[in-house]
Amino acid sequence: MSGQSAYRPKGMLGQIVHDFEETAIALMLGVMTVLTFVNVILRYVFNSMVIWGLEVVLVLFAWLVLFGIAYGFKITSHLGVDAITNLANPRWKRIFALVSAAACLFYAMLLLKGAWDYWAPFAGLPETTGRWFPTGFNPATRDRAFFETDQVPMLGIFRFLEDLINQGETYAKLPRVVPYTMLPVAAALILLRLVQATIEIVQGKRDSLIVSHEAEDAVAEARAADMAVPGAR
Amino acid sequence: MEVIVLFTLVIGLMLIGVPIAVSLGLSSMVVLLAFSDTSMASISAQLYNAMAGHYTLLAIPFFVLASSFMSTGGVAKRIIRFSVACVGHLRGGLAIAGVFACMLFAALSGSSPATVVAIGSIVIGAMVKAGYTKDFAAGVICNAGTLGILIPPSIVMVVYASATDVSVGRMFLAGVIPGIMAGTMLMITIYVMARFYNMPKGEWLGWGEVGASFADAFWGLMLIVIIMVGIYGIPGVTGAIFTPTEAAAVAAVYACVIALFVYRDMGPLKGRNGGRPLSLMRAPYALVTGFFHRDTRDTLLEAGKLTIMLMFIIANALILKHVLTDEQIPQQVANYMLAQGYGPITFLILVNIILLIGGQFMEPSGLIVIVAPLVFPIAIALGIDPIHLGIIMVVNMEIGMITPPVGLNLFVTSGIANMSMMRVVKAALPFLAVLFVFLIIITYVPIISTWLPTLIMGPELVVK
Repeated sequence: MSGQSAYRPKGMLGQIVHDFEETAIALMLGVMTVLTFVNVILRYVFNSMVIWGLEVVLVLFAWLVLFGIAYGFKITSHLGVDAITNLANPRWKRIFALVSAAACLFYAMLLLKGAWDYWAPFAGLPETTGRWFPTGFNPATRDRAFFETDQVPMLGIFRFLEDLINQGETYAKLPRVVPYTMLPVAAALILLRLVQATIEIVQGKRDSLIVSHEAEDAVAEARAADMAVPGAR
Repeated sequence: MEVIVLFTLVIGLMLIGVPIAVSLGLSSMVVLLAFSDTSMASISAQLYNAMAGHYTLLAIPFFVLASSFMSTGGVAKRIIRFSVACVGHLRGGLAIAGVFACMLFAALSGSSPATVVAIGSIVIGAMVKAGYTKDFAAGVICNAGTLGILIPPSIVMVVYASATDVSVGRMFLAGVIPGIMAGTMLMITIYVMARFYNMPKGEWLGWGEVGASFADAFWGLMLIVIIMVGIYGIPGVTGAIFTPTEAAAVAAVYACVIALFVYRDMGPLKGRNGGRPLSLMRAPYALVTGFFHRDTRDTLLEAGKLTIMLMFIIANALILKHVLTDEQIPQQVANYMLAQGYGPITFLILVNIILLIGGQFMEPSGLIVIVAPLVFPIAIALGIDPIHLGIIMVVNMEIGMITPPVGLNLFVTSGIANMSMMRVVKAALPFLAVLFVFLIIITYVPIISTWLPTLIMGPELVVK
């Protein structure tokens, strides 16, 4: 499984964004692994531990996946069933692709509304009204900005939040709003990538939202590697 | 009513090419919004908590990462050399060695497609060169690769444990004997076929080669020891040292260190232009740069991508599971089936049929998240051991991975062997029959699955 995929970023900005996304994914997974490892060592060798370790690792896990979903839509790496669509003629194939793009857009839109509604009270902002579609803001939203994480210490760079959303009260621990921020950000990114993908389908530059099979990467890798087997003749 | 809408939507969306994860998630959202008073906010929170609230599932990214480092870091190559040295001289030896290598790699990696890629990309080519047909080679590896999820560690077992609250450690132990048994059955089948069709055999290279190749593969194989001793401890010496999730993280770090500094098939110490790898003494800076090297980043990214793909499906499957439990579907199904007077035997046949059909279309982890809560209460009521049920599910998933249209192993094998999907399906058929026989044995002889975990961890406490 190689680091290359069929996706090629366009232009300099595209390359910078692509590099940022890939590095962020690698970095989050790397930090999760190292933090967990360090905590094991600390516990068994030094009989101590980083108390916020597990909570931060779990938050990073959520961030990694949520952030990565949008990246997955960009490089078309999400798994799906292509048995039927491959049998269809090009006309129907296109219709299927457009319908599934519409379904995905609907999913992303619902998700974005939900993500905002969940996150907003923690940020001292109003949630939206309406069940399926946001119809306006609810001025009577119950403020949850005072909620803190269980163990994560407060960081200096987030002190501005105290005046901004917590009526100047100090936070003893990192407020919940910080880890939850990934939810609306990721949902917005997913929506953005899906809009882009839909435009490409309409323009005929892309024919589906799913990877035809997961093996494409592996194939390229296997060809490139060309490894010999010792002992076989 | 709600359930009919739900499953019609899931299947309909999936068939027109909507990503599996979105099919599961969107259908559940529509049903929840239309028929219950759950808000979108709480559904989104569930998506977040699928990761942040599931400590067990955290083992998945770490096991994926360990197996990525093992694949890129040249461990597969060394395991194959060791396997060939051990059994290569038998008739059909290279094929048997391929199965053996798959078993060993399965004990390092938690995923079946990863096992096929790591072993298959080397062995299939070598088998064709040695005079086997490509179909035979592909069929063998495609099947043997499925052992990746049966022999511990296993991502699918982690998902089952998380979905049903049984212990991951117990599930891992339960997979050991069935895994060895399935591997042995495949090897015997190959040996019989090899005698019958007079397939090529290799040369016995002597105990020296066995020793040398073992020494070379030692650092890779040590990972099995680290995981096992870490999770279970050494009887009489130490208790369990870490949780399966921590074991996975330790395995990932260990695999990284071995790949970068011992085998040096990747990273800053890799030999340039196929030359010999550099010595750490000559380039001590590698201790720092190794962890930031382009190869390390790419391996992390690769593991990250796979984790994202799996967790996106699992997280949405968890929302669907939430719908099912909200509607009390598991209890209804259980009451219905118990009222019909189904015994354990009929029930297990039903479970197998559901999973075999589901396995055709779904990715294994997602399917387990959905099906496990449905059948689990019934199994408990009928007195079926939850660990045994888990192993049955895993074996069904193995078969699902080599049957079209969604068979991850088929995709991967057709890719690395450069054959059409249908040709791989045909090539895999004779061995698929072996796995079917194996499934029947596993289903009706529970002791194969439950003996080892009971021996080491004591009898399972079943909470009715």
